[in-house]
Amino acid sequence: MRVKEVNWSNKGLLSATGPLTIMLLLFFLIPFFMTVVLSFQSTQYYRLQWTWDLDIWKEVFSEYFIWRIMWRTLTMSALCVVLCVVISLPIAYALINRMKSMENNVKILIVFAFLADAVLKTFGWVLVLDKSGVMNGFLAWIGLPEIDILFSPTATMIGMVYNLVPYTIFTIYLSMDRIDRDLVRAAYDAGASRFRTFWEVTLPLSKPGIFAGAILVFVLSLGVFLEPKVMGGGTRPMAAELIRQSFETRVNWPLGAALTLVVIAIGAITLAIAGKIAARTSAANATLAQEDSK
Amino acid sequence: MIADRFERRLVDAILYGSVLAILVFFYIPIITLVVFSFTESRFLTYPIESYSTKWYFELIADKDFLPALGNSALLAVTTCILATALGTAGAIAWIRLQFRFKRVFQIISFAPLLFPQLLLGVVMLLWFSVLGNWLEFSPSLWTAAIGHIIYITPFALVIVAVQVVGFDDTLEDAARDLGASDIEVLKEVTLPLLWPGIMSAAIFAFLLSWGNFYLTYSLSGTARTLPTYVFSGIAVGSSPIYPALATLTFVPSLLLVGFADFYRRKLAKRKTV
Amino acid sequence: MTLIEVNHVEKYYGTYHALKDISLNVEDGEFIALVGPSGCGKTSLLKILAGFEDLTEGALHIEGRSMVGVPPSQRPTRMVFQKLALFPHKTIYDNIAFPLRIAKVDATTIKTKVDEMIELMHLKPEYLTRFPAQLSGGEQQRVALARAMVSGPSVLLLDEPLSALDVKLKKSLQTELKRLHRIVGTTFVHVTHDLEEAMMLADRICVMRAGEVLQVGTPDEIYYRPATEFVSGFIGETNLIDCEVTRSGDTAAFKSETIAGACEGLAAAQVAPAIEGGAAKLMVRPEKIDFAEGDHGLDCTLDGKVEEFFKKGATTQYRVRLTQNDQLIFVELPGAPDVPKDVGDPVTLGFNRADVYILKADSHAG
Repeated sequence: MRVKEVNWSNKGLLSATGPLTIMLLLFFLIPFFMTVVLSFQSTQYYRLQWTWDLDIWKEVFSEYFIWRIMWRTLTMSALCVVLCVVISLPIAYALINRMKSMENNVKILIVFAFLADAVLKTFGWVLVLDKSGVMNGFLAWIGLPEIDILFSPTATMIGMVYNLVPYTIFTIYLSMDRIDRDLVRAAYDAGASRFRTFWEVTLPLSKPGIFAGAILVFVLSLGVFLEPKVMGGGTRPMAAELIRQSFETRVNWPLGAALTLVVIAIGAITLAIAGKIAARTSAANATLAQEDSK
Repeated sequence: MIADRFERRLVDAILYGSVLAILVFFYIPIITLVVFSFTESRFLTYPIESYSTKWYFELIADKDFLPALGNSALLAVTTCILATALGTAGAIAWIRLQFRFKRVFQIISFAPLLFPQLLLGVVMLLWFSVLGNWLEFSPSLWTAAIGHIIYITPFALVIVAVQVVGFDDTLEDAARDLGASDIEVLKEVTLPLLWPGIMSAAIFAFLLSWGNFYLTYSLSGTARTLPTYVFSGIAVGSSPIYPALATLTFVPSLLLVGFADFYRRKLAKRKTV
Repeated sequence: MTLIEVNHVEKYYGTYHALKDISLNVEDGEFIALVGPSGCGKTSLLKILAGFEDLTEGALHIEGRSMVGVPPSQRPTRMVFQKLALFPHKTIYDNIAFPLRIAKVDATTIKTKVDEMIELMHLKPEYLTRFPAQLSGGEQQRVALARAMVSGPSVLLLDEPLSALDVKLKKSLQTELKRLHRIVGTTFVHVTHDLEEAMMLADRICVMRAGEVLQVGTPDEIYYRPATEFVSGFIGETNLIDCEVTRSGDTAAFKSETIAGACEGLAAAQVAPAIEGGAAKLMVRPEKIDFAEGDHGLDCTLDGKVEEFFKKGATTQYRVRLTQNDQLIFVELPGAPDVPKDVGDPVTLGFNRADVYILKADSHAG
């Protein structure tokens, strides 16, 4: 594939990027800018006032409950990322190295489950986890005591992992699929055990996929709303619920805008730190490799 | 030797077990919904006493169901067409062209994917309210469609880009050399070769839009699609019409995913004698 | 008739000077090979002929028509690509029929022409419904040739289409190309880095290096009368011995510290045209050298020691280190020598005056 160098006066380039750029400018960048502007206004009697002050930001930074919810969102998201990655690793590995003829069928099953309507799937979980639901029915049938986890943070976490784990499976699968199988064979040949080979060869080489998947899941989980509301019962809201309430229940748009920006900032800062760490580890690896070759 | 065999058994058990477990995990709620859609009782509790199809009729009789279905379909088709077209054009620019500010273009065209959906919806809603005040319109299915396009285009872009990376552009040279004009090259060579990617992008786009809740919820105003219809329904109280609805909405996804696989197999056949 | 005229063509990629003042005429029906190491500009020249690259300066005429600004689709040339570029999504029939369909030829004519090509290329008719990936490498080559020739172009441009094949297949397709050229009579411009292949196939060879044409000539001229040291070394092994030209013209003469014997009275054609006197290289091909034993009757002799010998089937190759200046000389004998030689044996080599060619020493090595 050769890459063609073109000028902005090139018709092909304009027709390839023009419509998308205009769409994104009009409905993504300008709205984002709007949100920033809006966070410097205030409301009175459910009406927006163009006050251009920092009142909303003062409120945001002084309210303890806002930061409690933000902290909860952050920890839930971090936990969700870890669970998604840990679950996805053996699955991606198995898909590539064990499934052979079944690989495509399993992939199709995963894609289908991923693409099915999230609200319905979440509702399905309610039916499963309900006190008188499928899970407890099953537990009673095999003679175990009932458990009641619906409307708890555990249920929220199950829902989040359920809806987000396909992302890490996909990215890690793609990354592992590109590893030269001879490297793994070479490690076996050198006498490494399977676990050790996985730890020293497969895992480091699938880092880009793990990383990409982790970022996607983290960012998406910062914005979850359905799972805490429907499965968590709404008793322990997360950031998205807080934002929704500011807009809908309290009709305080500047507050909603400011909270939105806080969540985006948390996401962006995490991304930046993660990027730094990634750059540092790859730089460290490069130095190590250099020393090895000496 | 024995340790090695034991290790291999253990590894196999973990690997096969994890795939089996994830499939069970993925399909627990889906199968539960399908099963509950055939319950006789109006309560969604286990075990199910007797089966019937009456809730499907109840669902169709619900006055909000058909409009929601129509809206979902309209939204998904619109999004599918536009997001796929924009994504395809964008993918070609990403992979095949080098230009000034390419990095900027890449970042902004990818950013919506990294934006929490509800926040994307909220941010766009603010803007639509301002625009609406000014141009006198209120959020509707069309604002939701714009939201879907913004969010889903990056997915389409990535899927088509994978196909573009594998594209051999000497084939275009060959077509040109054999007398084809630019339009003929596009029609005869470029698009047919990118077609598998474009089609999977379209299927993905359709289904992501079809099942999208967050953006529709924020942006569609009073118009309801199936996901928001279900959400508002279960917020009030669950009823077996929702499992019935779920079962119905799985049908188009099943057909599309099945079709995509059929097509893939057909293409793969061309590579073997 | 001159079909292709390349006049003083210059090509720059940015600041990189890819083609330097290239002039070349190709006759109608000729098989010409462009040869040179990678980066020599042969592919750039081919792309300029095909229309995929514009020339920076100069003129290009094909069939008397200027080709500047004419897109590939409007040129009377067809290209066979290095990686063939068969359309993977079209059947063999549709691949071959493609140029005709684009030219809006009616369906029955297309059918006839495709069938003709299939027969000409010795392809099996049942392949027509298959896809390119279902054919073997050699069959794909034939399809690519068929597709390029089906619409009867006046020039066929071949961009190293045989380079990816294994030796056996390559040989058989080389024969095929030669046969095809004889039957069809179209002008072939064949790019290759393999001078041996060019020798086998071409009527004329154009040797290029670093964007310049070093020599254009028949295979014999290139082999026995190379213009420069570089050309002489491009095919097979050769021996170049330092010498000094003392007289040029009709009865040229040279002298060399290494060589003993009569060095006078060369024909004018045995000295490269550019040489008038001074330091030069004497070239003598390994098969023109023999061991000088007894009443050998050879004009010039060299003394040395056998360093190594190789049996090469019909011939035996000796490598002899010269006593005078430690230079390694290659000797290729048909069969075996009369008196067997072993490693370390002192030997005297000899050759005839008529078998030498004097060429210019390259100013820079390479």
